[in-house]
Amino acid sequence: MSDDVQTSPVHTPLLSHGPLLERLLAGEFVCAVSDEAAFKRLQDDALREAFDAYLRPLNRRLATNDDQSVYFLAWRQLDDAAREQLTRQLSDTVHSLLPLLEWLQLVQEALGRDSVPAPGDVLKPGELQARSEDNPSLRERIERVAGDTFFGSQSDQLDAQLKQVFKRLKEHGYLLQPHAERQVYLVTGKVEYLLDIVRFIRDEERLPVLDDADAQETLL
Amino acid sequence: MSEPATPPALESRLMTQGVERLALLGKHAEALMQGYVEDEVPLGELSTQALRKLLAARILWRPDEQGGVKLTPKVRELIAEMTADEARRHVNADVAEALELIRSLVGGYREASSRADYWHQERQLTRLRQAVDDMNGRFFDAIDSLWQRLNSDFGFVSQLSDKVRENDRAQKQVVRLLDGLELVDFKELIDLVGSDGTLRKILISQLQQQTSQHYTSLREVQHRLIELMARFRQMQAPSRLVAGMAAFLRERPDFTPGHYTGRGEVPALFNRAAAMPIAGAAALDRAQDVDALGALFKAIPAPRRPAQAATAASPAHAREDAAVAARQQALKEDVETFYLDVVDAAGSAPVSALRYLEESPHEWSDEIWLFQVIAEYQGLPRSEQRAFILQAEEEKAGDYNDVRLIRDVALTLAAAP
Repeated sequence: MSDDVQTSPVHTPLLSHGPLLERLLAGEFVCAVSDEAAFKRLQDDALREAFDAYLRPLNRRLATNDDQSVYFLAWRQLDDAAREQLTRQLSDTVHSLLPLLEWLQLVQEALGRDSVPAPGDVLKPGELQARSEDNPSLRERIERVAGDTFFGSQSDQLDAQLKQVFKRLKEHGYLLQPHAERQVYLVTGKVEYLLDIVRFIRDEERLPVLDDADAQETLL
Repeated sequence: MSEPATPPALESRLMTQGVERLALLGKHAEALMQGYVEDEVPLGELSTQALRKLLAARILWRPDEQGGVKLTPKVRELIAEMTADEARRHVNADVAEALELIRSLVGGYREASSRADYWHQERQLTRLRQAVDDMNGRFFDAIDSLWQRLNSDFGFVSQLSDKVRENDRAQKQVVRLLDGLELVDFKELIDLVGSDGTLRKILISQLQQQTSQHYTSLREVQHRLIELMARFRQMQAPSRLVAGMAAFLRERPDFTPGHYTGRGEVPALFNRAAAMPIAGAAALDRAQDVDALGALFKAIPAPRRPAQAATAASPAHAREDAAVAARQQALKEDVETFYLDVVDAAGSAPVSALRYLEESPHEWSDEIWLFQVIAEYQGLPRSEQRAFILQAEEEKAGDYNDVRLIRDVALTLAAAP
């Protein structure tokens, strides 16, 4: 990491940003959906620099994805322990890819949408259930995805399977439930981050994925 | 259509026929609309005579002898235009042909003018106005159709891939329309109208204003179409990425990407620091906090311990049992040593258990010791019991109590039989 942050003065008081720092330190992703106000504040270069300066002794820094739609914390110095943690995390991510992608595809198809769920989209387990109840093929796919170790549903009931899937997606920060008592979820920017990872792996490994203009048609 | 000039016979015949044929459209509207929707016109609803009239008016045609009867392209277009059916509305601005017509009409107008044939001149002028209006109208319709499609986000097709295709088609139409506008060459038109004020008004001032309007509109439409296309593509990209990657991973379940986290520079996306536990505890080292903490402490609701079920109380025995078992074992071992010593002594004299205990370093109570010595004897197999003689030294518990109390036991190794 460059040391340029040291030279820039920390003139933004961090006092009012305690809750945001806490969320970031807890490993959360901050995006326009999960916390619009915080996300807006993070657009400010001075504040980001102040955060970095504050996080320095904790060996962390503020990081973002290519299109700056999510913020999270990265290691500042990569020591062995940090690398080990990142390697474990990478392996978890790779294992979660297929179930997550299948889920995105499933939702798009079940709801008859033009695109996979994107940040800000509203998802309701009830709607998915209604759409798939009389569709054996969708039901079968939901069962398969829900039973994947990532989602870990043991149930053979559609509603329980969906409940488990939404629960896990919420735990992993892909969905947000604005009201605990209402079964309405918002897709967060972390989905964007997931797609960034997919794009990265595709480019890096030169995978024969995409540029298949008809993939969309077979989908719907 | 202005100036109703005295219509000669030709014009009156045209009128009659036109009205007759337009009426056909209304008379058979339902059958024609069915033909529009379903490709072929249902013949069951039309009499032979009606069909003949519709064919003569070129409202219907028969593409081939065996096939059914269909709407002619012009009628189809007319309906699409009237119903703003964007899926089928055509954009057609054949400017070259319109300009050709304008040139020839201007020529006719000049001829009539030089012959001082005013009726003919007037008629040419009307047709010229119509030709210019037609050309304008086509641009206007085309642009209107494009805006309709844009504003509805190509709502007449539901799927994104169709929208992408429709957008592509619309963009090509815009290019053709712009190419058409390029053909209107005002330098040529200025030469063409010369000094004639009426022509100048129609062909220069009016047309110039209109074409420049069309040009602006088309540029705007084009811009918006490209923007919308970018949005469509953007919407499409994630779906394709997700579908493609999912298909790949399904096919290659053993796929493992590179060891990104082992690289000198870990890719930014994969450098996600571990979550940090954030905790605080009540501290009493600051005087000013004491009151606040005290208040908090008082506010803590008393914990309500649920009544414990009786069955849950059992584990308390376990440790005691272990301790007792250890002592029991030690006692048993000491008693066994006593037996072995008796065997080693190999004397015929009885050995008192209590005296042995006194002389030994063991600290068992007399009673427990005796009890274990007797128990040990009784626990021996019968064959080994015979090797010992156990004699109890007993006495009555009291003068009037016949219970016999064992004061001591003596163990003797029995003589070999």
